[in-house]
Amino acid sequence: MSGHPTRQEDFELYALGVLEGEERAALESHAASCAECTERLGEAQGRIALLALGAPRVDVPAGAKERLLQRVRGEGAAAAAPAVFAPPPRATTWAKEDAPRARAGILGGWWNAVLVPVTLGLLIVCVLLWRQNDIVEKVIDEQRKEVAHLQKQLEYQRRVADVMEGPNVLNVALRPMPGMPKGDATVHYNAGKGKLVYDGWIEPAPSDKSYQLWVVPKDGSPISVGVFNPVTEDRASWIASLPEGVQAKAFAITLEPAGGEDQPTGPQILVGNGS
Amino acid sequence: MRISYGAALGVSSKAGPAAISSDAALVNRVAERDELALAALYDRYAGMLFSVLHRILRDTQAAEEILQDIFFQLWRTAKEFDPKRGSLPGWLTVIARNRAISRLRRHRPEQGDELEECNIAMPCTLETAAAQQQLIGRVKAVLMELPAEQRATLELAYFEGLTHSEIAQRTGDPLGTVKTRIRSAVEALKSRLRT
Repeated sequence: MSGHPTRQEDFELYALGVLEGEERAALESHAASCAECTERLGEAQGRIALLALGAPRVDVPAGAKERLLQRVRGEGAAAAAPAVFAPPPRATTWAKEDAPRARAGILGGWWNAVLVPVTLGLLIVCVLLWRQNDIVEKVIDEQRKEVAHLQKQLEYQRRVADVMEGPNVLNVALRPMPGMPKGDATVHYNAGKGKLVYDGWIEPAPSDKSYQLWVVPKDGSPISVGVFNPVTEDRASWIASLPEGVQAKAFAITLEPAGGEDQPTGPQILVGNGS
Repeated sequence: MRISYGAALGVSSKAGPAAISSDAALVNRVAERDELALAALYDRYAGMLFSVLHRILRDTQAAEEILQDIFFQLWRTAKEFDPKRGSLPGWLTVIARNRAISRLRRHRPEQGDELEECNIAMPCTLETAAAQQQLIGRVKAVLMELPAEQRATLELAYFEGLTHSEIAQRTGDPLGTVKTRIRSAVEALKSRLRT
């Protein structure tokens, strides 16, 4: 293959691993010297990687994460151990000198000359260890807080998965209206369970305004899902409850007076059709 | 109706609704030896990876071994990973599949292969549980829409790592038929999963 592959799917076939012999070698040798084809190959690999999501869901064995973290800590401890826990050289000297303690009186000044620096050395080691212990306790405390935070995240992800289960979940992309603040969001709406997951970002609103997400039912007036005031453009995700069984025909985010309104009054910022 | 933001992802009062750490931010923290960032990435992707590993190997212990090795590699080499050049879940998934198939076929991957997998561009984000769930639903729906023989052939290729001729040998179908099925399945995947 001296030029680009003639068929676009050749990249996917390569990523899938089904090409053999000359076909495979030709694509490899061409891609190695062609930046455009290397990029296309990366995109094809990404698309083929999505097939992994077709595998039946199997839970990770209990304790697997902890085993990984122990392995990680083990590596760290192995690297750090000599610096933190190695006995100071003077301790060895002290041990060797312990046996002839009974002869101290006879040895006199020589003994003191050894004992004083050893004692001082041990004191320094004790202080260092005490400080080290203090630092370790602070780190552990911070890690406890982080673990609690991660547990909250995990619990949230379970709740999201619960919302997403079911035969008639609507996944609707909300797109920005022309001339309005930028943003991009998706809502996942399970009418049967009366739950909605919002996942997206939007430019922060002016300080006297709030964004308000609405479900527009097939029959009746818009229903407020929630009022929010992002202060950054980070993605955010949250779950809201609605009356069960409301069939949605659209979703919209409007800009409202701070705190929101009972019915939409401001301009539509992001909009998506539900059916 | 007001939203209870406190129930969302680790809400910061300053940030309003929950801010989700991006893969890039977490990888940077892992590079700085932050175990909690590694744990967060594990929570995010271990389920997806373990499922594909288990599907390929059908062996829980072997699947966990590879899963742990991959995250341990991420821990050790996070500095070398540039999220701007490629997708983290793409890289994780490709490496997981390569290693599982290598084990299945009892050969070691060629050295250097994995470093070349850094530029994988996934067509979508998988950083939130909602995004993952949505995409899982779409991929499964697309697979179910394929004719049964196309789906089975594609699965032999992806989950068992068989080449065109190996699939033909395994199924007894003509090589040309196998090639046509795979190409058609790939075309369908591309067009229906386009975002």
